[in-house]
Amino acid sequence: MTRIACLLTPSDPARPTLLRVALAHSPRVEDAGAGRVYLDASGLEGLFGDEPRLAARLRAAAAAAGVESSVGIAESRIAALAAARLGPGVLVVEPGGDAAYLAPAPLSLLDLPEATATRLSRWGLRTLGELAALPTAGLFERLGGDGVRLQRLARGEDPRPLVSWRPAPLFEESAACEWGLETLEPVVERLRELAARVCARLGAAGLAADCFEWTCRLGDGRVHEGALTPAVPITDADSVGGLLRLALEARPPRGVVQALTFRARPVRVAPAQESLTDRSRPAPRRLTATLNRLVALVGADAIGAPALLDTHRPDAIALAPYPSPLRGEGRVRGGDRRDTRDASPTLALRRLRPPVPASVTLASGRPVAVRSGRLTGRIVAGVGPWRVSGEWWGPRPWLLDEWDVELADGTLCRLAHDGSAWRLEGIYD
Amino acid sequence: MAIPIESSPPPGWEREGIDGLLGLFPPGRLSEIVGPRSSGGSSLLLALIARITASGGQVAFVDGMDALDPASAAAAGADLSALLWVKCGGRLRVALSAADLLVRCPGFALVVLDLDELGPMPPSAHVRLQRAVEGGDTILIARSARHREGSPASLVLAARRLAPRWMGLRPLTRLAGLRSEISIFRARPHTLSPRGRGQGEGLKGEGLKGEGLKGEGRRWTLDWTL
Repeated sequence: MTRIACLLTPSDPARPTLLRVALAHSPRVEDAGAGRVYLDASGLEGLFGDEPRLAARLRAAAAAAGVESSVGIAESRIAALAAARLGPGVLVVEPGGDAAYLAPAPLSLLDLPEATATRLSRWGLRTLGELAALPTAGLFERLGGDGVRLQRLARGEDPRPLVSWRPAPLFEESAACEWGLETLEPVVERLRELAARVCARLGAAGLAADCFEWTCRLGDGRVHEGALTPAVPITDADSVGGLLRLALEARPPRGVVQALTFRARPVRVAPAQESLTDRSRPAPRRLTATLNRLVALVGADAIGAPALLDTHRPDAIALAPYPSPLRGEGRVRGGDRRDTRDASPTLALRRLRPPVPASVTLASGRPVAVRSGRLTGRIVAGVGPWRVSGEWWGPRPWLLDEWDVELADGTLCRLAHDGSAWRLEGIYD
Repeated sequence: MAIPIESSPPPGWEREGIDGLLGLFPPGRLSEIVGPRSSGGSSLLLALIARITASGGQVAFVDGMDALDPASAAAAGADLSALLWVKCGGRLRVALSAADLLVRCPGFALVVLDLDELGPMPPSAHVRLQRAVEGGDTILIARSARHREGSPASLVLAARRLAPRWMGLRPLTRLAGLRSEISIFRARPHTLSPRGRGQGEGLKGEGLKGEGLKGEGRRWTLDWTL
């Protein structure tokens, strides 16, 4: 006889903690999503006592890990879930009592699709007991095999075995340095050796890593930590070794290194089919090295693929990771993309970041001269104001009056007035 | 004589229009676009970026002054997800180093070094970038306000402002665009790498003069639309 315990928390982000708690009590654990974790509670009496004690212990362990939860134990998942959701916090349904316990429970426990829920509601069904009491043949005629499956669940019959969850394997290697490493070069070499072993294990598992971390325990008890994030997940030991050398040369450990640990965060990368008709693109290994050098040169916040934000606020942009996983999927704000062959050439605006404060002379409400740190001159033609505003409903409303003007030297630029001051936003080129 | 289908330009291709102009940039060589403010040089760059990203190429944009307007690029038809934007914060040496790193990374169809008022580049940087890009398929374009004598650039295009275009009678209602002129300031005869012939066959033989293009001094008048 199988007994199943359900750990339920209203906070789904805390589910990984519940999974660890469950795994500490039972070798068979299922991650059911939506704040639910099931574990096989059969045969645990010898370790943790009877089922009420086990349930109380599970709840206490979750609370000690900082997660508020409720626990139910029954023969089926659905009954255990009902006990956890509807019970007082800890509830055990006696063996053989699932159907009786589930009878008054609401149909919403079944996570029904909207169409099915509406249909059952029109039939006047409110509880699992009412669904369980329907003739099976008639239910099959109306809802097919899905209806029969739901009825079996409503009767506490759950033949599906637990889908076992396993924590992600730890890809980590450590080494102790008996004599202590005082200079950088041996530290780099030892870490490269560890990286090669980790990469070999990743490759054997068919995985790649999108983050590598290392820890150096120093002779005075301090710890030096570092991490590198390649542009694309990699397993190539030479690439990792090269990046590791760059990172350590930029920020070496300050002291004698006594022990080293190197770990990787694994990800599964779907193999991509190359196409003969696609244009060439940078090889991941070279691109990773280049991007890391560029990050060291300009900073991580100054490099990426530009992305337009969903707002009309001028110059509302963000930098997305490059290469973008959404390549060619129309990241551009709706309607802005054109067929480049049919489009007439577009006039570019060169932004001034940040906008340059300007002193503007007005005549009859129109700008006639501008003076700023970048441009100064008489305005010979101009159009405006084009009023743009937005987010007046939020904490950061904005409103601008924009003018496109031509200076006496022929420069075309965009001026803006935000209600208190003028500024030079950009130059058309 | 039969013309192979694969060498025929696509429908709508205008040899005398902007298509012909964009096809001039030689792969594996340094090119330059020079011109003052509001001369259309940046618009020409965006048109080229749009053309290359639309055909599946990857573009790196080294932005010396952080002046790129992604909204303008998107309006020109560029696929922003195929664009690597490197912002250099007004630091000339950083911009030169970034461009040097990128042209040494094979796979980018176009690397743009936008210096604008930071430039022109020092001669040593010119030579270094020219050497770095040689032998590959990458088009390297430097954009600056002025041309420096002694630059090893294979192709130098000069942009000149003609007149803005306004909509509406007096009073004017909105800026409609800009008319500018792009001319070949200088074109070296060896501006073609072997793999670039399909796109720029007009440059074969005696440089630009060999295939009907008039070479240095040839001009395009372009209307950029806002």
